[in-house]
Amino acid sequence: MNGRGLSVTLGLAHRQMTLLIKNPSLLFPPMLFPLMNFLAFAGGLSRLRHVPGFNYPGGYTAFQFVFVLLQSAAFGGVFMGFGIARDFENGFARRLLVAAPHRSGLIAGYWLGAVFRWSLVATMLTIVALIAGMPIGGSGVDIFGLYALALLVNLVGILWAAGIAMRFRTVQAGPLMQTPVFMLLFLAPVYVPLALLQGWIHTLASVNPYTLLLEEGRGLLAGTPLHTASAFLIAFGLVGFFLVWSLRGLRIAERAG
Amino acid sequence: MSAAAAEHDRAECRGDDATHWPRVPVGLVTTLGVMAGGDNSIEVEGLVREFKKGPRAVDGIDLRVEPGEIYGFLGPNGAGKSTTVLMLTTLLPPTAGTARVAGFDVVKEGPSVRRTIGAALQEAALDPMLTGREHLRLQAALQGIARDERRAREQELLARVGLSEAADRKVKGYSGGMKRRLDLALALVHRPRVLFLDEPTTGLDPQSRSALWEEVGRLARDEGVTVFLTTQYLEEADVLADRVGIIHRGRIVAEGTPSALKADVGRSTVEAIPAEEDERARVAEILLRFGDPTQASPKGVAVQLANSNGSLADVVRALDEAKLAIANIQLHAPTLDDVFLAKTGTSLEGAAEDDEQDSDAE
Repeated sequence: MNGRGLSVTLGLAHRQMTLLIKNPSLLFPPMLFPLMNFLAFAGGLSRLRHVPGFNYPGGYTAFQFVFVLLQSAAFGGVFMGFGIARDFENGFARRLLVAAPHRSGLIAGYWLGAVFRWSLVATMLTIVALIAGMPIGGSGVDIFGLYALALLVNLVGILWAAGIAMRFRTVQAGPLMQTPVFMLLFLAPVYVPLALLQGWIHTLASVNPYTLLLEEGRGLLAGTPLHTASAFLIAFGLVGFFLVWSLRGLRIAERAG
Repeated sequence: MSAAAAEHDRAECRGDDATHWPRVPVGLVTTLGVMAGGDNSIEVEGLVREFKKGPRAVDGIDLRVEPGEIYGFLGPNGAGKSTTVLMLTTLLPPTAGTARVAGFDVVKEGPSVRRTIGAALQEAALDPMLTGREHLRLQAALQGIARDERRAREQELLARVGLSEAADRKVKGYSGGMKRRLDLALALVHRPRVLFLDEPTTGLDPQSRSALWEEVGRLARDEGVTVFLTTQYLEEADVLADRVGIIHRGRIVAEGTPSALKADVGRSTVEAIPAEEDERARVAEILLRFGDPTQASPKGVAVQLANSNGSLADVVRALDEAKLAIANIQLHAPTLDDVFLAKTGTSLEGAAEDDEQDSDAE
């Protein structure tokens, strides 16, 4: 990205941050959703740690923390997709499209805005988890890896949602942005490790690429990473795939005027 | 509006007497000025835009706008004005034809076109949660204006459009006129060489409208900005535009300077109503010296002035010399609506209604 493209990205990201600061209610849905899940899962289901075969060294709070962290990252991206759709619906996107010499920088700008919002959510989640007594077994590098993985999930989330938003250019496409992500997340080993799942859910979770990201995230938090390279490879692969998807969405939006 | 009044307004818009909006200190004009040099023209050949399940919104138009010219694109709703602007501003790809803006092809060189143009589109696309100043900052960033230059530019433009005091208020509290002015300021942030204004005064009160006309006139006059302006207001095209293109159902049906277009469709008409009914024949006798008889009101006499046969003043003088008492006398100069009527068979207002009915039927 050249200087002009970077300027577009930073300008749009700044606008998204300004909107968030001026309208904190925009922060509540992406903040409350994972927080409620965390409190419900880590609290209400904590006895699952006693299930035979549940051998995660970090305990159930840490086990659930990784899930909600990645969930918040994915949905943070999706919620930004709503914002993109709204910009198209009310005509603001036209201003962006006619003013930005390099339009791809717009997607990066929305992502930076989403990262800012997610970083607030992730900070809050981490604080709550630490207060709840979550142990951290991983080293500094491991923890950095966990948050980097979450950042990539956030990027995948917004690239997916941006592709939908730019194809449909209406907020009514919201369910289309959320539902597949929701299904992908919950068709992974959310409550117990993969080895404890049985039947069709085990089959689906085994082929779900998100499973590897989730399990590796848990491994990094506990300090027992096993497939770090594979997890990042998959994450970057998803980023690449959905980058093409979102850029094609941008071209479709450009053609539609 | 009479031709004389239009001429007067045009002179005011393009002259130095504009006082409705705050004026910028003379020294700032150079810093606000457009990039010197370069090709500021617009060239369009055979431009077509077809929509799925719809008619051709733009049906093979050709036009050329010279650098520093104000080109008025006049037509009713649904005529294809905004679709043309969307194509020229790279927001919509043409189905066929070519268009070059400031020397750049709108399809192949979109980024270069966008660097060169400013656009204020039909609905001022503003974020209600942002302030006017924040909009300017965003626009400056999108256009890649250097950070140290942004603040000065913000102040200059806010002062220029009279929004300095309202700069830190959220746009949702702005009036329609303020939004339009902010929209214009945003379009000027990067000193564009070509400015597109899509129905910039729709919904504005007369004062805001004339203020915007003054500013647009000043931009072309002082800064050499080429302005492509769409409008459905005859007066706006007449007052502001150096040349007018009349578009009807996707095709340009007439093009030229407002005065040439009007001269093309006919001569001015003088109608006199005598104070005494029985003087009608004598009034007619005198009027016929100046032109050919034409339809008049029941009590009046009217002639279409022959170009070489004098003006309204000559007619008045002749009636006075004949000691005829006149209750009312008026000159009707052809308007752009007459041009539209002559070229399309319907008035601009009627065409707007027809097009609305067509779109309802669709």
